[in-house]
Amino acid sequence: MITDLLIEKLRGIVGKSHVLAGRAGTELYSYDASLAWGQPGIVVFPADTPAAAAIVSAASQAGVACVPRGFGTNLSGGTVLPEGIIICLSRFNRILGIYPKSRHAVVQPGVTNLELQTALAPLNFFYAPDPASQKVSTLGGNIGENSGGPRCLKYGVTTNHVLGLEMILPDGEIIRTGGAALDPPGYDLRGAIIGSEGTLGIVTEITVRILPAHAAIVTMLAIYDDIGAAARSVSAIIGAGIVPTTLEMMDAPIIQAVEDSYACGYPRDAAAVLIIEVEGPAAGLEHQAQNIRELCMQNNCREINAAKNDAERNRLWEGRRGAFGAVARLAPSYLVNDCSVSRTKLPEALARVTEISERYEIPHGNVFHAGDGNLHPLLLFDSRDAEQMKRVKKAGWEIMEACVQLGGTISGEHGIGVEKLAAMHMIFSREDLDFQQGLKDAFDPCNLLNPGKVIPAPGPDDRKKAELSKTGGHGAAVTALIQTIQSAGIEKQVLLPVGNGSRREFGNLSSEMPFPLGSSGLDDIIEYDPSNQVVTIGSGLSLEKLQDELQVHNQWLPLRPPFATLAHSLGGLAATAACGPERMVYGSVRDLMLGLRFINGRGQLITAGGRVVKNVAGYDITRLMVGSAGTLGMITEMTLKVATLPERCCALTAQGSLDTLAGAAARIIESNLWPACIVAVPVEPQEADYWEISIGFEGIGKSVESQVEQANRLLQEKSMQSIGVQDYDPINGRFNEQYQVLDGFDFLLRANVPIDQLVDLFVAGQPSLPLHYPFLDLGNGRALLGLEKFANADWLNFADLSAERAGHAFLEKAPVEFKKENDVFGRPRPEWGIMHRLKNVLDPGHIFDPGGLPGKA
Amino acid sequence: MDIATYYDDISQCNKCGFCQVACPIFRSTGHESGVARGRLALLRAIIEGRLEWGADIEEPLFDCLLCGACTANCFPAIPTADLVLKARSEYLEKVGRKSIHRLLFDHLLPYPRRLHWAARAVALGKNSGLSDVAQALGLLRIFGRNLPKANEIVERFPHRAFRDTNKPGVYAGRGRSLRVGYFVGCGVDVITQDAGNATLQLLNKIAKEVHILDNCCCGLPAWSYGDMEAAQRLAEKNLSALASREVDVIVTDCSSCASFLKKYANLFPPGHRLHDNAVFVAGRVRDMVALLFDNQPHTAVRKDPLTVTYHDPCHAARGQGIVREPREILKSLPGINYKELPEADWCCGGAGSYAVAHHELSRKVLDRKMDNLKTTGADILVTSCPACVIQLSFGVRRHGLNTQVRHISQLIS
Repeated sequence: MITDLLIEKLRGIVGKSHVLAGRAGTELYSYDASLAWGQPGIVVFPADTPAAAAIVSAASQAGVACVPRGFGTNLSGGTVLPEGIIICLSRFNRILGIYPKSRHAVVQPGVTNLELQTALAPLNFFYAPDPASQKVSTLGGNIGENSGGPRCLKYGVTTNHVLGLEMILPDGEIIRTGGAALDPPGYDLRGAIIGSEGTLGIVTEITVRILPAHAAIVTMLAIYDDIGAAARSVSAIIGAGIVPTTLEMMDAPIIQAVEDSYACGYPRDAAAVLIIEVEGPAAGLEHQAQNIRELCMQNNCREINAAKNDAERNRLWEGRRGAFGAVARLAPSYLVNDCSVSRTKLPEALARVTEISERYEIPHGNVFHAGDGNLHPLLLFDSRDAEQMKRVKKAGWEIMEACVQLGGTISGEHGIGVEKLAAMHMIFSREDLDFQQGLKDAFDPCNLLNPGKVIPAPGPDDRKKAELSKTGGHGAAVTALIQTIQSAGIEKQVLLPVGNGSRREFGNLSSEMPFPLGSSGLDDIIEYDPSNQVVTIGSGLSLEKLQDELQVHNQWLPLRPPFATLAHSLGGLAATAACGPERMVYGSVRDLMLGLRFINGRGQLITAGGRVVKNVAGYDITRLMVGSAGTLGMITEMTLKVATLPERCCALTAQGSLDTLAGAAARIIESNLWPACIVAVPVEPQEADYWEISIGFEGIGKSVESQVEQANRLLQEKSMQSIGVQDYDPINGRFNEQYQVLDGFDFLLRANVPIDQLVDLFVAGQPSLPLHYPFLDLGNGRALLGLEKFANADWLNFADLSAERAGHAFLEKAPVEFKKENDVFGRPRPEWGIMHRLKNVLDPGHIFDPGGLPGKA
Repeated sequence: MDIATYYDDISQCNKCGFCQVACPIFRSTGHESGVARGRLALLRAIIEGRLEWGADIEEPLFDCLLCGACTANCFPAIPTADLVLKARSEYLEKVGRKSIHRLLFDHLLPYPRRLHWAARAVALGKNSGLSDVAQALGLLRIFGRNLPKANEIVERFPHRAFRDTNKPGVYAGRGRSLRVGYFVGCGVDVITQDAGNATLQLLNKIAKEVHILDNCCCGLPAWSYGDMEAAQRLAEKNLSALASREVDVIVTDCSSCASFLKKYANLFPPGHRLHDNAVFVAGRVRDMVALLFDNQPHTAVRKDPLTVTYHDPCHAARGQGIVREPREILKSLPGINYKELPEADWCCGGAGSYAVAHHELSRKVLDRKMDNLKTTGADILVTSCPACVIQLSFGVRRHGLNTQVRHISQLIS
């Protein structure tokens, strides 16, 4: 309960003028942009992290619930908290730093998405997620909802672009997870927190990845007389293997409402329009645009025109972004549905929406991210009419059901909040939900942070179990594994999922001798939808088999993990979050994974995520499992995003001193080129300072060609001469030789620092590095080092050097004797505490590889 | 009229939040109380019975600048400023008016001579009990709020009002045919007299006859405060002074006055005895900027080029749609390097007497304006509303800038 004492305490923390307790003040924080309503007890406006932490501590001691809130544009009722404390972060409104050299920026959560974009633009950089509400939605809110936006079709959503967080745990403790250095060891905490709707912690500082602005952009408006034709065009474009930057759709009611507000250039007589944008180097872009034009025209497009200038382009976007507000011209209230279906199911989903809205006599309009299959039907009504409200809610419910029946999910980007709480049962069993609840319990055991959101309480609507996928022997193998794990639980036998057994040495030494759990029966391709670019596979499938299958359709999984041969199981690759230097353009496993299934320590088959490219339903267990190294469960099935095979892969090479190469790499990283990798290796290991740099470009032939040329010019600017331009195989890449050499060493060290500090770390680390073979991934700030010997002190020294540069180091591989005396993840870090809490709650029997985590027991 | 009458308009807000981007108050405070969505939510709560008229809604209602930026950013274009005004009016009825405002609207603004006297009284540091009034007028901001520094103030304070030297009457100009009525706003009369003199010079060039009108306050301050009756009384007084058929056009160099004079017909709806008269007068009102745009006098070439930027008064940009004209004028002037001010159409925080009633907030809004001004490196900041001139001059001094603040008339003449 909020007592006068608590109010006084809060006033003491933030000052009287930053506390709102009155009737009018709290009325102003009783809503967000959704239909939810609930009057909070008090609103506080802290100015910095210590103040916010003090508020959380005070609330926790008083047993009062609280919720972080930005500018209140949430669309699922996530920031409405009756009787609790609203912690408004509007004063956290500073951009703390922009670092183009290391491609990252540090911001406070109250900065709006657009403010960051505006600050980046003059530097020719951008932040990929761009929710339509970007003018007013804060980056903290974007984290809470794992926001998408039009551009996410090409670049992915918030979780794919956030590198690190500072956050306050529900008991007031401040922790940091991740940062400018990529892929910190241990559980992907930031992945778990992003999209957690303010229920796990309060984010107070955000490190995001920024990307160089493309050289050219073409924005097209495709006009249709039939919405079905527009939907079919979307399927056709994606099916043809083209991924534009955006593929947005608006239908007639929305077009009217928007045009009534501003003349944005949409034809009033159209049944639907698509806003299609492609961007990249100028070369090849027009060709891509032309392909899209033809595909649209083949699907009964009336006409398709490109914006002639920035003003025209901006107007098109202005209208799209303002659409939610504009529907107020049609009706005072709307319920926005946020279902996501596979792109190929769009025409069907739209037809179902129309049928449902007509049956309930609720008019609707569609404005949505068609390229992602993320629908936004806006059901239009008047919230002052209780009867209308009832019908709208029923209609909204049925739309969610229809989309789930089509294989989709209930929320693509707006979150569950309170509005979709009950619908969680449509996609998750009680066991799935309980696992998610475990995540919440580990972070917030007293349930004080934004309670009552995301996960529905147990009740009669609970579904029992997930059905087994039935292809080949998959179901039977899973059943057998479940039995093994259940009996291991009874017998207290410790297990270690090992895939096909080739990377067992990952992580710390298990405290007990684990029984290896193979994935041999799980090598099926369960479902492959090439036209939707999504594949669901058993975790035992080898990368090689998958690539073979995908290549038939001119597709691939854009992943070239070092050390892992193609024979490696995909489950193992996921569990170890393996990725190579191409990460800089394709992302890592975590960025490709849409959903997965695994067996937890209780022997339950748990489903996480889904099979659609955008999905924010529930906690992001998918991200948590990727890189968890088999400590939380045995992955049985995974759904992955695949891509069109690059037409051409080509690398430019040059030689020189490491300093010279680093200078060239820095120049390229700051340019508007999009290399797939930048790697430096010594020409003659152990010889003088003479290195070779490879700068790879992959994609459409013309674009690769022009980028190689431009990169060459940049090298010349740095007085470097390229010594060759070489094409390489898209599946194998060009570093397998080096990986083989590295893999021959007893120690394999991996260090990550902010991109621009890699060479500095390497040079500083020389004294503590005995004879070694280096592989410097200059595009990701990652060093891979093969060592014959590594003294304990030298290892710790190197780990410290990494930490001093805001990075981290760990040993991917080390002899058992070494592991007995050392933590392969380096010195303990504060955020490891929460990892162990997670492990305790999610695997209470400690069945899976106890001791494998960072922070040796 | 009861605010409940506007329930439909108020309910039209679907809380998308886009008004937050453009609201100078919200950008300064980050408080929901300071933005259209929040103000409308409160009015809806009142109508739906969750909230009562009381002191706790005074701030949300009265800290609105009425700049209209929210409506310009609102896709359904909900007229929040108008609704806030209606609510202010009802608030005054139900909760009460402040005596200071009664004094101002009923006893001072209708009478230019009393206004002069009050202003001078403050300037001379004579604590005559009227200093609050002067504060309410925003007078103190140009001189600082420190009354003991009266010596400084007197030095820089115009000893005479504009009207003391420019009495109502008809004066011959050098123009061919145009007969212009010059509406002297309170700001020009008491404070920015240099602007008034410049305007008068220009009018003499442009017009055949210049009629200096015998007007009083246009009524905007009262109207903004929600005191419709006071606004009507002031307007009625003006209508008789402005109704002369001897002029072709009524010009004022105060964009706020101009925008409000143009709205006189709204004060006296159809059927009212003054409606026709109000329509007639309103139809002849022109902002000085617009007049200059159509009749730009020749100006001498400057030797050393100056960098000039422009601030859009709310009552010019959103009140009258005057955006292009001043820029074209400035760009056409020889020896002038025009540089666009970022967020040029954001309110400066002056907003009539706002700056005094909400000193802290106003200063934050002003600071943002000054930060933007610094990025232009302008030698001169031009605008077309005396209230903005006063506020911006205060800002420039506060931030220690060398930029000069000028009314557009001054720059041209």
